[in-house]
Amino acid sequence: MIFKPFGDSALLIEFEQKITTEINQMVNALCKAIDNETITGIDICIPAYCSVTVLFNPLEISYRTLCRQISNLDFKISKKTIVRTLNIPVCYHKSFSLDFDILQKQTKLKKEEMIEIHKNGTYRVYMMGFLPGFAYIGKLPEALHCKRKANPRQNIPAGSVGIAGQQTGIYPGKSPGGWQIIGRTPLPVFQPESINPFLFKPGDIIKFHDISIDKFRQISNDLSTDKFNLNQIYG
Amino acid sequence: MDNHTIFRFIRPGLQTTIQDKGRSGYQHLGVPQGGVLDKHAAKIANWLVGNNEHNPVLEIPLAGPSIEITGKCQIALTGADLSATIDGKAIKMYRSIKVKSGSVLSFGKLISGCRTYLSIGGIWDIKPWLSSFSASASNIEKMTPGSLMNKGHFLKVKINKFIPKRKFPKSERPVFKSSLSIRVLGGPEYKEFPSAFIRTFFNQSYQLTKQFNRMGCRLTGKTEGYRETREIISSAAIPGTIQITNSGQPIILMNDAPTTGGYPRIANVISKDSDKLAQLKTGDKIKFILVALEDIWKT
Repeated sequence: MIFKPFGDSALLIEFEQKITTEINQMVNALCKAIDNETITGIDICIPAYCSVTVLFNPLEISYRTLCRQISNLDFKISKKTIVRTLNIPVCYHKSFSLDFDILQKQTKLKKEEMIEIHKNGTYRVYMMGFLPGFAYIGKLPEALHCKRKANPRQNIPAGSVGIAGQQTGIYPGKSPGGWQIIGRTPLPVFQPESINPFLFKPGDIIKFHDISIDKFRQISNDLSTDKFNLNQIYG
Repeated sequence: MDNHTIFRFIRPGLQTTIQDKGRSGYQHLGVPQGGVLDKHAAKIANWLVGNNEHNPVLEIPLAGPSIEITGKCQIALTGADLSATIDGKAIKMYRSIKVKSGSVLSFGKLISGCRTYLSIGGIWDIKPWLSSFSASASNIEKMTPGSLMNKGHFLKVKINKFIPKRKFPKSERPVFKSSLSIRVLGGPEYKEFPSAFIRTFFNQSYQLTKQFNRMGCRLTGKTEGYRETREIISSAAIPGTIQITNSGQPIILMNDAPTTGGYPRIANVISKDSDKLAQLKTGDKIKFILVALEDIWKT
């Protein structure tokens, strides 16, 4: 771990700068260890792919003391660590998948093959950012790696599933965005007015399930009439 | 009749928003911390009307609103001088002002700075989101309805008992200059920039472009010695971070910036100087001064 001052009120802890499950598990384990230790003066830990940023109040704890306390923490990845698995239904129907034509040129794969590869992966939430509730989910199998759009779309509907580089993600609300769109989930990824507005959190394991357009409509309908039990997606 | 006073926005102003200390604590879920950009100005504004220092205020950049006030109230203005008037008559800043029912508070020409803060003594009838009243950084109308002033918008405040008149001493008020020095610490990728570019970065005055808002300020200047660094794996981005884009130009991240980013971070503005950034506007000049972490708390 490398410790770096990040302004006068934050500490950046860098692991080996690589995107791997193991390193990201270390990131989450460290955040957890810091949270459990309740060190006075810490505001929040922000995990990313292979780094943790710790915001602190320099009037309550010095940078040096903070570094010392964190380097003394005993943390490891254990099999006992409880990790959530979320099963996310995705409809890859042509009315939602806007970019399969472009992707065919880039990946040389047929639409059905791309769907197969996307839905069969087991992914993790490496980091959250860009917009409230937006999860950077990876790693995408190499066959699906693609470029961002040269000209980002101005309005991507909420729930749209996109891919870019080695990542996949779901747009939490209507927003601009440059990822290639391959489908949509009926689930609410982000509900600002809810007590728990966020579907994802860093470290979650994600699996995608292919659903038909009829199933998509049914789930949307059930959600709007409160008949859909969100607990069923956790497995 | 209750003691609510109604503020009706006849003109909304350019981007008048409700702000408080922000919502730090949700950055790991992608929520920017937000909050007042000029913390000192907001704190003084609240003190002048007897509010708690973290009470919400209105943050008013560049072009102010016109507000019809029904009911009496005590207000104060701090920060940028936006030629405020009540019923056409100029009012002074940095002091508590009693306002009569039926008055119209308006703003005019920008004299200095960029953002004015308006405090109103009392309890604001607004809803928090994730423990803050601050306008959301994105999708404002959905996430924090009513926090961005639109034409015809109403703001209701339950007025506190008036406090004896307060005044903030002139000698302690900030003077907003159009050319200023900002102290920074080397950022996480500081050492990865060529030394020739580091010299360029510290030896020149950058100019603030037209692209600046609550998310960030784009600067323009010479790029001598700039060379693209290795690709950075996205990591947290915090307010005050100075990133260098692929064109070699800096962006200073502000409170509403996304919580993560992938541009190399050359430097970070020290907390003590962050309020100054809030009062910069297009064309203003900025020179960065490198300081050491150990020296910040001595001065």
